[in-house]
Amino acid sequence: MRTEDLVEQLAAKAAPVGADGRSRWLSLALVAGGLVSLAVLVAWLGLRPLDAAAGQPAFWMKAGYSLALAVGGGLVVWRLAQPTGRVGRAPYLLAAALAAVGVMAMLQLMRAPEGAMPALVLGHTWKWCPFRILTLSLPLTLALGLALRRLAPTRLALAGGAAGVLAGGLAAAIYGLYCQETSAVFLAIWYTLGIAASGVLGALIGPRLMRW
Amino acid sequence: MAEVVTLPLRQIGLAEPRLKALMVAGLDGDAAAYRDVLAALAQVLRPYFAQRLYSAAHDVEDLVQETLLAIHAKRHTYRRTELLTPWVFAIARYKLFNYFRRSRHRMTVSLDEAMGVDDPGNPEEGAIRQDVRRLLALLPGRQQRLMAKVKLEGQSIDEAARAEGMTEGAAKVALHRSMKTLSTRVDDED
Repeated sequence: MRTEDLVEQLAAKAAPVGADGRSRWLSLALVAGGLVSLAVLVAWLGLRPLDAAAGQPAFWMKAGYSLALAVGGGLVVWRLAQPTGRVGRAPYLLAAALAAVGVMAMLQLMRAPEGAMPALVLGHTWKWCPFRILTLSLPLTLALGLALRRLAPTRLALAGGAAGVLAGGLAAAIYGLYCQETSAVFLAIWYTLGIAASGVLGALIGPRLMRW
Repeated sequence: MAEVVTLPLRQIGLAEPRLKALMVAGLDGDAAAYRDVLAALAQVLRPYFAQRLYSAAHDVEDLVQETLLAIHAKRHTYRRTELLTPWVFAIARYKLFNYFRRSRHRMTVSLDEAMGVDDPGNPEEGAIRQDVRRLLALLPGRQQRLMAKVKLEGQSIDEAARAEGMTEGAAKVALHRSMKTLSTRVDDED
């Protein structure tokens, strides 16, 4: 086909276009993916008593950390969802969250009595925690990847990695509705591991999901 | 009839306001403006791709069309607060990158075609066979002999297999593996 003909065909399809579709597609993905993740959690592991959880500072620490990482990832996804997108300064937010949790973990370790360290580091669920976060992140990563396909990312591995961190952070926050661990050290190690794994997975499968 | 403008790349900066105005009008539904801007962008994209592709002209035109289609499909991601041409070239770069990625897979096909050349009247024949022999030297002994018999001497897979004391099935597997090895080697030389 000649290019002039293609141009004519496309021009015939000129119609008023709404504002940029990022908010629509990404929020759709987060809601859909988030609901699936939540459903998986409830069916698989169940919820902890939430009124008791709300009174527990550790609950909010875990939620805060998870959501901070999710926001960091989300900012990058937002920016990279279009062709001229650049990563921007969101990684500083991620670094700040990691540093904050790292400091809290250090303080906790320093103040801990002899012999309490294994419990602080391993908790009861260290073997399963990262894996569960990764599993819960899958519906979100998939939904985000498909949403990004409708948008126009040009740096696919990076966008995938950011989507993975966003998915992982939200999954960790959802997991917090079940998880009873209270140690900052545990949070710093095992939650970070789960969210990082989700980021790596996103970077690996992102290009396949998102290529347009 | 819309005026079609030829834009040398260095003058794109000057053309940006006009192109952007046309695009915004097009995004609001003005078909004539939309046609104008797409035609103008085609003129801009053509030299962009031509400079970066050393292959046949038809690939350049394919990329121009692919990019126009992408611009059309993703026009909802263009924000009116930003410049148009960086957005356009980001899409063009992306399509170019994907084109190079896809081309790597085409290497196996052209290798096969090169191997199949056996027209005795072709003066290039000797040179091609020399190159092919050099390539085959990269393979281990039996694979090399199989490939030479089947591809250069024109024996059937069955004949070559029997000569090497293999079953036809095993020979097919060995030939396939040899082709893969050779195309990886050729790829690596890029």
